[in-house]
Amino acid sequence: MGHILVVAELENGRVSDPSRELITKARELGEQVNRPVAVAGFGPAAADALQNLDADDAYVVKDDLLAEYHPELAEAALLNILQNPTDLVLVPNTTMGMDLGASVAARRNWSMVAYCTDLAIDGETVVARSQVYGGKLAAEVEVPLTGAVVTVIPGSWPSDGRRGSPTMHEVSAPSALNMTRRRVIEADAGNDVDITRADILVSVGRGIQDPDNLELAEELAAALGGMVSCSRPVVDAGWLPRSRQVGKSGKTVKPKVYLALGISGAPEHLQGMKDADLIIAVNSDANAPIFDVAHYGATADMLELMPILTEKLQGRAG
Amino acid sequence: MKIAVLMKDVPDLVEDLEVEDGALPLDEMSFVPSEWDDQALEEALLIKEEDGADVTAVAVDTGDVDTMLYTALAKGVDRAVKIVGDFSRSLTNRQRAQLLARYCQNERFDLILTGVQAIDDLDGQIAGLVAGLMGIGHASVVRDVHVAQDRVRFVQEYSGGKMAEFDLACPALLGIQAARKPPRYVTIAKVRQVQKSAEIDEVEDSVGETPVVTVRRLYKPESGGHAEMWGDDVETVANHIVAILEEKKLLRG
Amino acid sequence: MTVRTVLMIFTVAMILVSGGLFMRRLATLIRVMKGARPAQRTDRLGARVQSVVEHVLLHRRMFRITYSGLLHYLIFSGFVVLLIDIVETVGEIFFPGFTVGRVLAPLVDIWVLLVALGILMALYNRLVIRPARFHGSDEKDAYLILGLIAAIIVGIVIHDSFFPFVAREVLHVADPVARSHFLGWALSRVWLRLGWTGPTAASIGYAVGYVMDMGVVLAFLAYLPYSKHFHIFAAVPNIFLRNLGPKGALLAQPPEDTMAIRTFNDFTWKDLLDLYTCTECGRCQAVCPAHAAGQPLSPKMVILKLRDALNEQLAAKTVGNADTPPIAGQVISQDELWACTTCGACQEACPVFIEHVPKIVGLRAALLEDGDIEANAQKVLVAWDRQGNSFGQPARKRPAWAKGLDVPIKDARKEPVDWLWFVGDFAALDPRVQRLSQLIARLLHQAGVDFGILYEGEVNAGNEALRIGEYGLFETLAQKNIQALNQAQYQRIFTTDPHSLNALKNEYQKLGFHREVRHYTEAFLELIETGRLTVRPLSMRATYHDPCYLGRWNGIVEAPRRLLERLGVELVEMPRHGVQSFCCGAGGGRIWMEETNITDRPANQRIREAMTLPDVHYFVVACPKDVSMFSASVTAMGVENALRVVDMAELLAVAVGLETAEDAALISS
Repeated sequence: MGHILVVAELENGRVSDPSRELITKARELGEQVNRPVAVAGFGPAAADALQNLDADDAYVVKDDLLAEYHPELAEAALLNILQNPTDLVLVPNTTMGMDLGASVAARRNWSMVAYCTDLAIDGETVVARSQVYGGKLAAEVEVPLTGAVVTVIPGSWPSDGRRGSPTMHEVSAPSALNMTRRRVIEADAGNDVDITRADILVSVGRGIQDPDNLELAEELAAALGGMVSCSRPVVDAGWLPRSRQVGKSGKTVKPKVYLALGISGAPEHLQGMKDADLIIAVNSDANAPIFDVAHYGATADMLELMPILTEKLQGRAG
Repeated sequence: MKIAVLMKDVPDLVEDLEVEDGALPLDEMSFVPSEWDDQALEEALLIKEEDGADVTAVAVDTGDVDTMLYTALAKGVDRAVKIVGDFSRSLTNRQRAQLLARYCQNERFDLILTGVQAIDDLDGQIAGLVAGLMGIGHASVVRDVHVAQDRVRFVQEYSGGKMAEFDLACPALLGIQAARKPPRYVTIAKVRQVQKSAEIDEVEDSVGETPVVTVRRLYKPESGGHAEMWGDDVETVANHIVAILEEKKLLRG
Repeated sequence: MTVRTVLMIFTVAMILVSGGLFMRRLATLIRVMKGARPAQRTDRLGARVQSVVEHVLLHRRMFRITYSGLLHYLIFSGFVVLLIDIVETVGEIFFPGFTVGRVLAPLVDIWVLLVALGILMALYNRLVIRPARFHGSDEKDAYLILGLIAAIIVGIVIHDSFFPFVAREVLHVADPVARSHFLGWALSRVWLRLGWTGPTAASIGYAVGYVMDMGVVLAFLAYLPYSKHFHIFAAVPNIFLRNLGPKGALLAQPPEDTMAIRTFNDFTWKDLLDLYTCTECGRCQAVCPAHAAGQPLSPKMVILKLRDALNEQLAAKTVGNADTPPIAGQVISQDELWACTTCGACQEACPVFIEHVPKIVGLRAALLEDGDIEANAQKVLVAWDRQGNSFGQPARKRPAWAKGLDVPIKDARKEPVDWLWFVGDFAALDPRVQRLSQLIARLLHQAGVDFGILYEGEVNAGNEALRIGEYGLFETLAQKNIQALNQAQYQRIFTTDPHSLNALKNEYQKLGFHREVRHYTEAFLELIETGRLTVRPLSMRATYHDPCYLGRWNGIVEAPRRLLERLGVELVEMPRHGVQSFCCGAGGGRIWMEETNITDRPANQRIREAMTLPDVHYFVVACPKDVSMFSASVTAMGVENALRVVDMAELLAVAVGLETAEDAALISS
């Protein structure tokens, strides 16, 4: 019987949340189809990070070069690990998953399912649910338990946080032959305000009322690790530069969270943000069209809300 | 430098996707070039303009891919190749990758670019699949590709805005996230002119065995509709927001 | 040698040199014009002569700015009278005893005074009033020319003042018109007092005046074709050769190969003549919405930059070479080219009928061929190509607004209709305008009109695709529509959107579609005037915004006004109205482009203009894009309660009794 192997990613020396989610699911599946769970981790911090995960075996590749993701080394390392009997490989659908999932499946001539959002056992088969066509459709596919790679969209299910003590295996590091990493570019280096790159946007509309109130939005954005964007009236009033404008005549954005504050949602504005992953709208008018595209809405006073929310977020972080 | 751009067309998401009996009526749908492949094409053209390169656009003939290839020619690729055979719109990515890998292997390209993903690659992304089949160096989620002799330099996006710059020996395959500049526009007149003056090379092939995944059904996920409302109490609303961000793992720890 | 011999030699030499220089320049310009694209501009002689009378002799457009019109008229008329002086002066030297007679002679002096007044007014204009429209113009040249004209009129008075003495002492002939030149006569009294009346003194004095007059006139001749004042020669032919075709047709004929302008050979010869006709008056700049919005575009500077670049290439003999610096993108920057709304205010303001818009669009086409276009506009081009509408909505959704409506709307492709309604993108797909389209359908039903639409058969008319410079896409869209139109059976056709109207009416002709196309304001006016629709007058005050593609490009300014009158609306005109209306900023594809360079949106400026009108709380529009643009402005400016944007259809609906004033938001809360 081969393992269900989770390829874990490390963030600041710790196994990332998406990877933990996969371990939870691997265990759940493993119990049902009677497969042991293994976890693979790369880099000098991997051994420490993996040692108390809920897995039966942990394979670590300690190479310093793998402290950050390295496509060639990571692929070679994973192929080494796959020398051990493995039936199913779960990888988070991050850069690593996009990189390794398909190529390893191809090299091993295994099946592959991408953009998975759920995995379950149906009789003897593993059934995956996948997001396709830009999330407009879901697909239900059968995953063979005899060699398959599944890349999973982070946040698809919660991690149960269970701990364990896997048997640790150190896998020798392959050597990079063709690819060298020249440098790592940190997140904020040289990034001017480009709202299209923000994961979180605090977007303000006419409800901001006065340019002085923009400070509240800036503070909230800072607490969230996001940027401030806006709708057209704010730009027309000269309160924010055009580079911050979301909408037809401004930028089209697709952040993970779009917090629309005091924006009624003119069609031109909706056009620029409706594809955000999560839209939370706060507007005093309950009939504002923004609520038609928002996932969550509130009719609270945005000017009151902003400082309170900032405080809660800071309290939580501190 | 010999560059290939692997292109495919995908259903136009502008149109509503009507599922019939758990599948899409692919033959009745309108198709558009995959947007990431367009990015890959643009990056290839920029490389060609910057350093000189011989660029080939490649597509598998799963339907009407001629317009897409003529458009690539009009934009400036040196040749367009269509892999022809008994292929339908339901060709899987695994099958497609097999055909593309075989073609690329024969042509000995130095660099192969393609979109990092497509909206329909349920059974794996073309970039990884082709690279895996060819056994060549590769990376995905890539931007800023520059070439020098037999090496290629590029930036790979990690999560959260972090990136790394790599240097890779050719032959190499890169899954392009975004070109340095938005894909160029090509006028209808220019495409028409190319249709008259240029030809698409055809290469015959057929699909062999590939791993399959069985799709039980396609369906529409539960719809959104109107926002779920939290009322107007500031305190409650703030708590809700914190909770949902926490749940989505979007809060700074 | 007498003064006569000297001046005769001088005159002949000047004529040879100046005339030679003039002809050489003229030959160069004619040569470059011959290498350019063709344009048919010599038809309809009567209309052309009439336009010369109106705009040269009567200065109609010049007088739109009264002060400038007047000063120009004074100086302009001086040039006509200058002929008398030239004949007289040359005559009296070459043919001693020649005179123009006592009637014509004093005219010269009168006009010297009028021209002097004109010069003073011009100086006052440039030094004190300083209109912003002169910004960017070559003012040094303007002062030089004013100085030369001043020299001529001073010279005239001087030589006239010495001529009586020269006639008597040197030429030994009578000077019967000495007193008729009353200015010269008055000055001659000074010379008498100074004793400068002997043959030598008088000869010198006369020669000075003669050279200031004839010398400068002939030097002018040599200098003119190299300066902006070539308009003295070029204006008349340029006005004569103006575009008399349908005004709204950007191109008279389908382009042979491409409409892109890459070298100066790609302009039409008339475009090149335009460049040398420009006087740098800046009236185009003053009315340009893009310029007013703070964008880098000035129609005047486009012409001047093109002229300067052409002059450089003429000097370097590189006209038509492909390796000259690109015109689109370098001579005229991309930002300038994409800023144009194609509203045509520049062309309407130009006293010499320069056509700015086709040049700008041709240059846009060159950018587009190189793949350079503003990102949002590119998305729209792709959407038009794929879905046939700018909203990127499925083609199926185009008639969605008509669903669930209580009035039946026929499919004109399937059954014959009396009136075919070409709905247009915004009217069909913009949520704000869909409601108005439903109103129009109900109004037509109320009037008992047998009408229909093309349903999915209709695509965007292509007016903006053409103006973005994408002729191929325009043609594709137009052919789709023409195919659907040919399939349909109808008696008459009307549009909601003035932009669609313009395309169907003017641009489709070159693709073989010749039907009289009307605007819904015209259609409803007829329905009311023929008694098919009964209205109860509204009794309200409002102002009306003329859409560029309705008023300026198609001259439809009366029908909407008569309709308003019929509806009982007391119309209060904005300062800029009719063909001189001010663009909302949406045209020419601008509505889809980023507004990064804009400091003050044209639509906001227009709303402010309307808000200066006393007791006007309604801003009536007759264009779906205006509904979208001005509603957004009013909201953004926070003046919804002071000024309401209402479409003509809403007024109609209330007046006909389909809706209450509350429904139509016609009552301020």
